[in-house]
Amino acid sequence: MTQEYYRHLYVVIEQIDGKILPVSFEMLGEARRLFDDFNARYSSNEKVVAIILGHNIKEMSKELIAYGADVVVSVDHPEVKDIRNIIYTKIISQISTDKEIASKIEPSYASEFKKPRYMFFAADSIGRHLSSTVLVELDSGLASDINKLVIRDLEVTHQIKTAGKPVNFKKTLEMYRPDFSGFLWTTILCLDNRNNPVIERDYSPQACSIIAGAFKPISPDPKRIGVIVDYVPKIDEKDLRVKILSRKVIESEVDFESRRAVVGFGRGIKDAPEKNIKLVEEFAKHLDAEIGISLPISKNVYPASPSISSTYMIPARVIGTSGRKISPMLYVAFGISGASQHVTGMEDSEFVVAVNPDENSPIKDQCDIFIKGRMEDIIPLLLEELKQQQQVVQA
Amino acid sequence: MAVVVKLEPDFSEGSISYNPDGTLNRNETKSTLGPHSRIAAQAAFYAKVKYGARISVASMSGHVANTALQQAMQTCDAEVLHLYNDVLFAGADTLGTAETLKAGISKMEGKMDIVFSGHRASDGETGQTGPQIAWKLGFPFLGHVISYDVNLEKRTITVKRLLSLQGMPDVIEEVEAPLPVFIAIDPSYKHSFDTVSERLTSEKYQREAYERAKNYKDRLQVFNSEKLGVNRGLIGLAGSPTIVYDVQRVPKGKATRHAEVLDGSNPEHIRKAVARMREALSAMVTK
Ligand SMILES: Cc1cc2nc3c(=O)[nH]c(=O)nc-3n(C[C@H](O)[C@H](O)[C@H](O)COP(=O)(O)OP(=O)(O)OC[C@H]3O[C@@H](n4cnc5c(N)ncnc54)[C@H](O)[C@@H]3O)c2cc1C
Ligand SMILES: Nc1ncnc2c1ncn2[C@@H]1O[C@H](COP(=O)(O)O)[C@@H](O)[C@H]1O
Repeated sequence: MTQEYYRHLYVVIEQIDGKILPVSFEMLGEARRLFDDFNARYSSNEKVVAIILGHNIKEMSKELIAYGADVVVSVDHPEVKDIRNIIYTKIISQISTDKEIASKIEPSYASEFKKPRYMFFAADSIGRHLSSTVLVELDSGLASDINKLVIRDLEVTHQIKTAGKPVNFKKTLEMYRPDFSGFLWTTILCLDNRNNPVIERDYSPQACSIIAGAFKPISPDPKRIGVIVDYVPKIDEKDLRVKILSRKVIESEVDFESRRAVVGFGRGIKDAPEKNIKLVEEFAKHLDAEIGISLPISKNVYPASPSISSTYMIPARVIGTSGRKISPMLYVAFGISGASQHVTGMEDSEFVVAVNPDENSPIKDQCDIFIKGRMEDIIPLLLEELKQQQQVVQA
Repeated sequence: MAVVVKLEPDFSEGSISYNPDGTLNRNETKSTLGPHSRIAAQAAFYAKVKYGARISVASMSGHVANTALQQAMQTCDAEVLHLYNDVLFAGADTLGTAETLKAGISKMEGKMDIVFSGHRASDGETGQTGPQIAWKLGFPFLGHVISYDVNLEKRTITVKRLLSLQGMPDVIEEVEAPLPVFIAIDPSYKHSFDTVSERLTSEKYQREAYERAKNYKDRLQVFNSEKLGVNRGLIGLAGSPTIVYDVQRVPKGKATRHAEVLDGSNPEHIRKAVARMREALSAMVTK
């Protein structure tokens, strides 16, 4: 089981209509940082390989190199213009096991190469499912919604993987995944079974999907040098059996972009959901603000009248990694604790006010003014004061 | 057709319990049919009313998952319930789970035309299980489905999918695929029964489902690994490439702002807060 069968870090890029999604640049940035360090520490020369599929996408390869890729494998073909799971899965799996491509990436190891060592996808509407099917095809493990990555040698003792004995796993990718509460981090590892001879199985690549907004891209350098590989895919007619009939952009009824202020509410509404949401509604009206929510609110777990729940407890209003990223002049957070996934969505706001009875809530470190108190008490006071101050101006 | 459902913590008010540090207390939180799984079962019910489909429901879990299966049966008037229960199934990651559920679905009577799953488990899980079962079955996978219609003559399905991507407006994509397919139902899925006869049929099946769910055990089939005929190396802990290595608290993020703490019971502080908010907003005008 030499390690050298498995080499490099493959990053699956997403582009729509000629535009590369920001999360792809963010993944390349993190890949670059990890691999500069990896190659230095292990005295190796493994590469960051970007995979991009689409039609008329020639120009994009250079951009990916500027953003940190050493190699770009590009598939420019009319059948992959739009993203379709089956054909994308097949082609990405082909690329991941192709020795000819491997020889262009690193000639000296091409004959040994079997599969990538690591693989990144985006944890979004496309990448979540694409990563799932690709990893079944490659028969390896996958962690989702990752926001921190570390590579190191780890000694692990595990009932099945190592039959209870300590084993040193080299170059292991620690994949950190925030749990539902946002306050616990689970580290997930993808490890070979080393309890020979019971169930010996090699699991490569070690793969994950990455939350948008979790990492920063590197600043692009147009002079960076890289290799571009144009790959001609083998396409089987039956892998094209899903047809896209139409694609329609929907205008969201929620408008975070053109409003100067956004008012958000979270689980802090719990003691009187209906009443508290009405207060938030009135407050927002006075500031001409759009209303946003934290993710749990969109799960419809609080009793409220149908009109309130269908207007406010909806995914389109979620602020954060699972929803929208906002940057208003003013963001007011009522009853929101400030989990990292939420903060990612609102940290670019100019001025942030939080209303919360608990001074230990993490939101306190993410706001400019922290008003200690319960929203049901505070909002009426704020409203009253707001009306008074606005009157003074009009007078 | 088949629906795969999962027993999950009950997030409705009163059932959920948090630890003092804000994390979920799994011991005290009740379990129920997951909300995403419920939506999947509702979507299957649509096909029962519209196309007279026969529905089987499956779950891989301990025996307590009976309740989830019962609730699913009541939602979609299922004919058959499958429970996959074995210590050998335990500890599976999505790949190991998908292998078991694939084996179970393949064992179901009759040919499956559509398999439904939820978008993701609501206790912050992965959304990977559905597409992985689909790939193992060799069915096309369609995720984020918000509505669908079947053409029985052509044996095709057309679905609408809701795609939301970072920095892009949401897109509704209409897709056609030949049966059989695997679809994961989006949380915003909706259907309505338009004709009187559909509504009557729907009511009839709902009554039937209610009666059936009372005696759900009559239709419950429990399988262990041997009965499913799965390869032990591909299921449970043994068939799972990934492990949970560590759980730790996310360190408090670096303070990006230095908050001024105001006391909500002090009128002077409220006045100040409002003044600062108005200042922040007027900055826009001069910018
Ligand atoms: C993969 C993944 C993606 C996620 N994506 C997102 C995302 O995009 N957006 C998002 O928001 N979350 C997201 N989450 C969930 C996130 O981790 C948190 O669980 C969530 O943000 C917490 O919501 P909350 O602040 O409303 O609730 P809680 O954390 O329960 O906080 C409630 C707050 O209300 C306060 N409070 C209590 N009573 C009152 C009162 N009377 N008045 C005022 N305040 C009160 C409490 O002190 C507490 O601080 C995601 C989680 C995962 C696993
Ligand atoms: N153990 C299980 N038994 C049955 N269905 C499951 C199981 N785990 C996941 N699913 C299905 O897959 C969906 C996604 O789950 P997950 O991948 O865990 O987020 C759920 O909504 C269920 O429909």
